[in-house]
Amino acid sequence: MERTTVERVARAAHFALSEEEFEKYSKDLAEIFDYFKILDEAPEGEGYGVNPLEVGDVLRDDVPGIFIDPYELLKDMKTYENYVRGPRLL
Amino acid sequence: MKEILASLPRLNDKYSIFSCITEDAEIGDSEFLFSAKDGMTSKDMMTRCGSKILDGYRPTFDATAIERMRNAGGKLIGKCNMDEFGFGTFSTTSAYGIPKNPFDLERSCGGSSGGSACAAAVIDGHISLGASTGGSICCPASFCGVYGLVPTYGRVSRYGLVDYGNSLDKIGLISSDPERIARFLPVISGKDTKDSTSCGQPKLELKGKRIKTIGVPEEPLAGVSKEVLSSFESSLDALRSMGIEVNRIKMPSLKYAMPAYFILATSEASTNLASFVGMRYGQQDGDLSLKFDDYFTYFRTKYFGEEAKRRILLGTYTRMAGFRDRYYSKALKVRLHIIEYYKKIFSEHDAVLTPTMPFVSPRFDEISKMTPIESYSADYLTCPPDLAGMPHLSVPCGYNRDGMPIGMQFVTDHWEEDSLITFAKDWDSAFDVRKPEVSL
Repeated sequence: MERTTVERVARAAHFALSEEEFEKYSKDLAEIFDYFKILDEAPEGEGYGVNPLEVGDVLRDDVPGIFIDPYELLKDMKTYENYVRGPRLL
Repeated sequence: MKEILASLPRLNDKYSIFSCITEDAEIGDSEFLFSAKDGMTSKDMMTRCGSKILDGYRPTFDATAIERMRNAGGKLIGKCNMDEFGFGTFSTTSAYGIPKNPFDLERSCGGSSGGSACAAAVIDGHISLGASTGGSICCPASFCGVYGLVPTYGRVSRYGLVDYGNSLDKIGLISSDPERIARFLPVISGKDTKDSTSCGQPKLELKGKRIKTIGVPEEPLAGVSKEVLSSFESSLDALRSMGIEVNRIKMPSLKYAMPAYFILATSEASTNLASFVGMRYGQQDGDLSLKFDDYFTYFRTKYFGEEAKRRILLGTYTRMAGFRDRYYSKALKVRLHIIEYYKKIFSEHDAVLTPTMPFVSPRFDEISKMTPIESYSADYLTCPPDLAGMPHLSVPCGYNRDGMPIGMQFVTDHWEEDSLITFAKDWDSAFDVRKPEVSL
């Protein structure tokens, strides 16, 4: 697989790969996709299902409620005055 | 039960079953002990999915399956080691200990629910919750010589199961005794409004329905080792003597299941795991003055393991503009074809049967030499039913000359868990299942 393609994929996946990793994953992905070529000849089923079974729409009643106490969740995070702290956006 | 609880640290020293063990040594009102793969959230123990990126994560809620086991009188004794986020066949990508096979400590327990299968094999009267995406219950059950049941997709709520491939993930059960699987499947099954994929299921009814006819596809047998094949053929004779009709059938499309599975599973995983960026869960030791892209990249590069990175790269690629139709969309259509093909077989047979794994559990030194494709190919028998969301069961069916267990895998139509469980109970009376010697 071309180096530029792997670089593009790694950037999208948020990985900073070393030279050694670039080489390894380029080779691995090339071998894997070479193997996957077998799918080109595979028969296709009718339709376009994203799940193996039909999944019905199940909606909860529109009643306000708290499933998990947000203050409990905040205990696991870096916070400032009960806001989650994150990295810079700009 | 108290003795078992007291023995857990020593068991763990020997087999590396658990990533964490309960600190509560009291039995209290508990009626039974159970363990769970560490991919399920538990409010009294860390949930780390075998990954360094989740180190320190203590969920505030139980996965529905764990909650239902506790409500039925169960005590959760530990969270079981697993491949990182389920990415593996041998549990060797676990960051918190690699479970060792109870029949030979130099060999793998299989994966990715390796710790769960090991617990089922070495702890008396035990039941463990595993999870399967492409073979992660049947493979370790086969390697450890125990029973493993994967219910139909949607039978057991996935609420609290950290996603690998959300259209493929299923919670199931592993035990040395099929009676326990029969007892606990109704406990963990059923609709749960917190997981809409569980809400369309028909009621689970265990009425003792029996498998009368079995289709054995010929094509997959070509890739199976001689010792597995020999054991499997002997088992077919045993099935005939139980009055089951065994027919050789053709299922040429099964060979497409493995690549279709890997494309769908990694596509889904690459988006599901995008939420692990050093905020909200687990590791959060980064420098907040970094720009968000750099901050996320720092965490993911530092804490995801080698195989996790490989699968995320794979899944990111298959979803990218220009490649999506060739891989992801194609794999969805191939899955539909394979489901249709299974349904056609089930119009004439009650179950499809193959060996569970193409070989007995390999040694760790052999595993370390495998290429990614060799490792992925080991799943070629377990991928088809997992891809199709069909219930499947691995039962021990023989031992090689070194005493390593061999398993066979039954697949039935959607929602037909009843006949799998009935078969497992019948088989347990007919087949001499060996227990590993456990000396501490």
